Amino acid sequence: MEETPQHCLSRLPDNSALKQQELPAHRLYFTARRVLFVFFTTGIFCLCMGIILILSARSTQEIEINYTRICANCAKLRENASNFDKECTCSIPFYLSGKMMGNVYMYYKLYGFYQNLYRYVRSRSNRQLVGKDVKAVEDCAPFKMSENKTPIVPCGAIANSMFNDTIILSHNINSSVQIKVPMLKSGLTWWTDKYVKFQNPSSKNLADEFRGTTKPPNWPKPIYDLDKKDPRNNGFLNDDFIVWMRAAAFPTFKKLYGRLNRTHHFIEGLPAGNYSFNITYNFPVTRFQGEKSVVLSTLTWCGGNSLFLGLAYTVTGAITWLASFAMMAIHITLKNKQMSFFHQ
Amino acid sequence: MEVTPLHRSPPARLLELLTHPQISEAVCAPPSQCAGEEKRVGTRTVFVGNHSVSGTEAYVAQRFCDNRIVSSKYTLWNFLPKNLFEQFRRIANFYFLIIFLVQVTVDTPTSPVTSGLPLFFVITVTAIKQGYEDWLRHRADNEVNKSTVYIIENAKRVRKESEKIKVGDVVEVQADETFPCDLILLSSCTTDGTCYVTTASLDGESNCKIHYAVRDTIALCTAESIDTLRAAIECEQPQPDLYKKMNQISLVHYQPRINHCGPRFVGRINIYSNSLEAVARSLGPENLLLKGATLKNTEKIYGVAVYTGMETKMALNYQGKSQKRSAVEKSINAFLIVYLFILLTKAAVCTTLKYVWQSTPYNDEPWYNQKTQKERETLKVLKMFTDFLSFMVLFNFIIPVSMYVTVEMQKFLGSFFISWDKDFYDEEINEGALVNTSDLNEELGQVDYVFTDKTGTLTENSMEFIECCIDGHKYKGVTQEVDGLSQTDGPLTYFDKADKNREELFLRALCLCHTVEIKTNDAVDGATESAELTYISSSPDEIALVKGAKKYGFTFLGNRNGHMRVENQRKEIEEYELLHTLNFDAVRRRMSVIVKTQEGDILLFCKGADSAVFPRVQNHEIELTKVHVERNAMDGYRTLCVAFKEIAPDDYERINRQLIEAKMALQDREEKMEKVFDDIETNMNLIGATAVEDKAWTEHQEYGLIIDGSTLSLILNSSQDSSSNNYKSIFLQICMKCTAVLCCRMAPLQKAQIVRMVKNLKGSPITLSIGDGANDVSMILESHVGIGIKGKEGRQAARNSDYSVPKFKHLKKLLLAHGHLYYVRIAHLVQYFFYKNLCFILPQFLYQFFCGFSQQPLYDAAYLTMYNICFTSLPILAYSLLEQHINIDTLTSDPRLYMKISGNAMLQLGPFLYWTFLAAFEGTVFFFGTYFLFQTASLEENGKVYGNWTFGTIVFTVLVFTVTLKLALDTRFWTWINHFVIWGSLAFYVFFSFFWGGIIWPFLKQQRMYFVFAQMLSSVSTWLAIILLIFISLFPEILLIVLKNVRRRSARRNLSCRRASDSLSARPSVRPLLLRTFSDESNVL
Repeated sequence: MEETPQHCLSRLPDNSALKQQELPAHRLYFTARRVLFVFFTTGIFCLCMGIILILSARSTQEIEINYTRICANCAKLRENASNFDKECTCSIPFYLSGKMMGNVYMYYKLYGFYQNLYRYVRSRSNRQLVGKDVKAVEDCAPFKMSENKTPIVPCGAIANSMFNDTIILSHNINSSVQIKVPMLKSGLTWWTDKYVKFQNPSSKNLADEFRGTTKPPNWPKPIYDLDKKDPRNNGFLNDDFIVWMRAAAFPTFKKLYGRLNRTHHFIEGLPAGNYSFNITYNFPVTRFQGEKSVVLSTLTWCGGNSLFLGLAYTVTGAITWLASFAMMAIHITLKNKQMSFFHQ
Repeated sequence: MEVTPLHRSPPARLLELLTHPQISEAVCAPPSQCAGEEKRVGTRTVFVGNHSVSGTEAYVAQRFCDNRIVSSKYTLWNFLPKNLFEQFRRIANFYFLIIFLVQVTVDTPTSPVTSGLPLFFVITVTAIKQGYEDWLRHRADNEVNKSTVYIIENAKRVRKESEKIKVGDVVEVQADETFPCDLILLSSCTTDGTCYVTTASLDGESNCKIHYAVRDTIALCTAESIDTLRAAIECEQPQPDLYKKMNQISLVHYQPRINHCGPRFVGRINIYSNSLEAVARSLGPENLLLKGATLKNTEKIYGVAVYTGMETKMALNYQGKSQKRSAVEKSINAFLIVYLFILLTKAAVCTTLKYVWQSTPYNDEPWYNQKTQKERETLKVLKMFTDFLSFMVLFNFIIPVSMYVTVEMQKFLGSFFISWDKDFYDEEINEGALVNTSDLNEELGQVDYVFTDKTGTLTENSMEFIECCIDGHKYKGVTQEVDGLSQTDGPLTYFDKADKNREELFLRALCLCHTVEIKTNDAVDGATESAELTYISSSPDEIALVKGAKKYGFTFLGNRNGHMRVENQRKEIEEYELLHTLNFDAVRRRMSVIVKTQEGDILLFCKGADSAVFPRVQNHEIELTKVHVERNAMDGYRTLCVAFKEIAPDDYERINRQLIEAKMALQDREEKMEKVFDDIETNMNLIGATAVEDKAWTEHQEYGLIIDGSTLSLILNSSQDSSSNNYKSIFLQICMKCTAVLCCRMAPLQKAQIVRMVKNLKGSPITLSIGDGANDVSMILESHVGIGIKGKEGRQAARNSDYSVPKFKHLKKLLLAHGHLYYVRIAHLVQYFFYKNLCFILPQFLYQFFCGFSQQPLYDAAYLTMYNICFTSLPILAYSLLEQHINIDTLTSDPRLYMKISGNAMLQLGPFLYWTFLAAFEGTVFFFGTYFLFQTASLEENGKVYGNWTFGTIVFTVLVFTVTLKLALDTRFWTWINHFVIWGSLAFYVFFSFFWGGIIWPFLKQQRMYFVFAQMLSSVSTWLAIILLIFISLFPEILLIVLKNVRRRSARRNLSCRRASDSLSARPSVRPLLLRTFSDESNVL
């Protein structure tokens, strides 16, 4: 007890708000009015959003043509891998009843192709694709080296299985005149893919740079011959290649194949009329019981013509409104009870 | 001791088990041991100064341990392996280690880093914490071990380090030094060979205790003379005090009253004088100086080391308490098992489906995904096994490492709030609450039954002498002389007064029969006599009695040279030679002194519980006093009976011999002493009784059942008898029906037995014991939560408790506010953790159905790793530390709220299923919402398509936001910390995602997240989808909160009207039967 007040003070717990659990705090109190207000506004927002989305989605057009069965003979031919060098073409005429306004995008769509298999997704070499070391193939099993021990470029299962059908869209103005619809093969990829993740080796002559390497077993031609006309679309920079290399999330997927070059006749989009797809059929899908189709689509600010988002918003908005009406009913009955309670 | 069921049912039941430390009764007979031959095995022989004693047969050097104290667990060398080993003994850590090893060895979808990093973090943090604690222990050990001591060697004073002391060394200790080991006091530099010791550092008692030197060595006060001593000490091999060993509970009642005589110790010293004839003297606790105690008021002492180092009483008693586990922890383990089961099921389902799916060849090996040569060659069974392991690894996040870290942190940090609470601060003792374990915070919110010690816990332990009765005549409220103050109210005492001689005898008895000491100030002896006398005793009763006697004119002036000095009514000083003190113990429940008057008469005075005294006095005297005693007991006073007897000189010779003999015994000394005491304390004459009031903290209280210790022993201990079980169950049934049960006159052991009995009831209710004295330690250790009161009876209870508070009244806030909040916080924490990880993993599981069960992870490795560590950890931690769903004042004022969480309500199957279904719902919404979103051609207006990583990132973003906002919805108490942490975590997630995807990381093989997040946010649809999915996921929760709110509001209205009617019916106005205890509120507590 000789120890003086100082000692006493030190033992007394601090009187700070934190230590006494008395921090200034905001407590949430739900008043009926506030809750109902929030519910109604949310409901309105959802409903509006839903309607807008549905309307926008309805404004887009989409045509899908499944050519697995139409080109049955080609499919049959491709079932046997030894026929890889035999060319097979197939033409699919179709009628566009209404014109497709604005930008038209062409997709190919695969059914039952698992681009998301664990081993498949990993079977690629980013070091190779970025052009630093074309012989870096460590992660590419089982497509690392060809039989004569030269590294494969581009290595890996993804690259090897690249979609290699050629699809050409023609507009049949009349029975004799056929115009090839001009398609752009640029701007199909993410900007960062094209300019950062995928790079060709620095040299001017790609073929030199890739000397000492082999093409993937399934490819008809080496990587440096993908687009001989446009060096900015050749090698690793080829848009189709880059698009393919981004593995899809689900076994049924679309990938962008081209976009309409809006010139001359097609300045407003695709006019209505007779069209046909001329397809060079290379990609075997019947071997894994898959299917493939071509999709033509126009897009709006919210993307394609899927109604899902719009419907989801509408339904949510409706449910929110229902809930708020129910709550209002409960609130009012309770309020009345309270009145009677007090009157007693 | 009192048992209060906190919420079981209205009416709340109180089970009061009352104990008077002074009058608890012997119940279980000591286990009969063969008292005949003394076995040599259990003893050690110590040669004083390590001089062999000539004449003894072959000097067998016994090996004793050195005086090094090692409280540390690790050394520099074994720290790593030993610590790691101990950490991996925890099941959770071991599980994570296994997962990690699987990831390293088997080709699994997630990198070992994802589970290795968190595990490494946990292990490192724990190792650092334990290492630091151990370093502190090392430092403390070193301080003790390297301190300088002086040893007498070859008649010289040699300076040594404390750790070098050997058994048998003669040690010199100066005033205010602590004893370096357990010493037998040989001599002090006072003429009577006493020294004063304080054990403040051992048990918190600051009063000085007297210890005595062996009589024959008192004179040996110099280094030279002490070196000439030739003696051998025989004493028991070191053993810890018994009350520590809970498994030997039947021995608990042996537990010495620490306050009276220190730990149990018996020994014998044989002193060899020049004639080579040994003189034997007994050694008891009063001769033993304990390591850790401090020498006071004495210049220096010489002692011989008998127990050193780890064999000292202090070291032996320094044993970790058995670990108590809280109900929440058990629930966590149960949940863990459920989730482990879910995990295994998921892995098994996926493995099976994988092989079903692969049974068609084009799925097994499509042309675009050919197997490597190695894969083709592996055995199918082996492949299935590794697949199973891979799936387990993929889903292992369902049981997160981080939960254990967070729970630990929550407990550790959360417990500070108790010690910080200024409401627990008591000015009198200048201290607040103390937390000895943080493992049981939430258990405070779950207590069903409260067991409380009465004296000092419910009462202030400040006693006041109220009245006495002498030969059946009542004396009350006296301030001056006894004469003429006899009360005239009672029928017995009407104009009736005891004989003057009897009065004086009674008062002398009060003055002599006690162990009170006078506080010696620096002043000279003369001054103490005239000035205010300060009495010190470990038992406040005795002080009250001595003070009571003083009021009647008999003043105790203290001890001088073995003579007790008493000033009588005529201001004359009488001296009595104190021949023997027959100490109080809880079994005999009485104490006696044998004194010799100036005239040479030998008298024995005895005081004790009525049940302990009445059988030992002549029968005809009892009746009158008995009436008084019973009336006083009914009024709630502590009563003691006083008796005396004259001992003829011849008898005294015999008694003296017997006593000395018993004291010399090395084995079974206690039993022998007890027997002798028993023989002595017979045929006494009852003089009277005293009544002392123990001021209660609070008001009256009714009890349903009152039972005393001896009856209880019939119920509890009549063992092996089938009917005893029957009694037990009847007793329990009655207890359950009562608001409170009062058990009086119990031995410490019985307190623990009662606790254990209630603990083992159906539904295993949570028990809480609260007490202040050493006699409560057993029940404090036995119950689920033990609370010590830092009261006047020393610190034994506080040191053994889980929490200690200064006053009983603090229990209310501790339980109702702190306990409730801790429980709600941790229960929510646990549920939330399982919830958020189920949400997290379910989409990953669903994704397996879309990727051919190929173990493709949905989320990037960084997200897998960071989810629990960074993105969602801090908000829940802040919540679990700060949340006050109901404010503290409401909690303390309405005990009904406490009942709402009883029986581990928030972790029962119902809430668990609710959380699990919520998680399952949300996980499904995340996954399929995003799945349908991805069915469109493009999510951007420029037609670009997204891959699997974008898909995963969208799901993950929705997940992080939903899970965090869900917590925000649950938070009722928004401090700035909550705001900071919740919004900060979300901001951090966004920032991290940009950062992680913004750079080509040179150390990564796959740049799969490169710009995924930024690209994702460039799509309006994605934004809209994320917002919608978050809203849909939270919608049920929002609805529920709103509905609950409505319900609560109406419930509150009901409550208030019910309360109004309650107050009308009020409390039945039955006269309180026995005691004043709980306050009105704590009745429903």
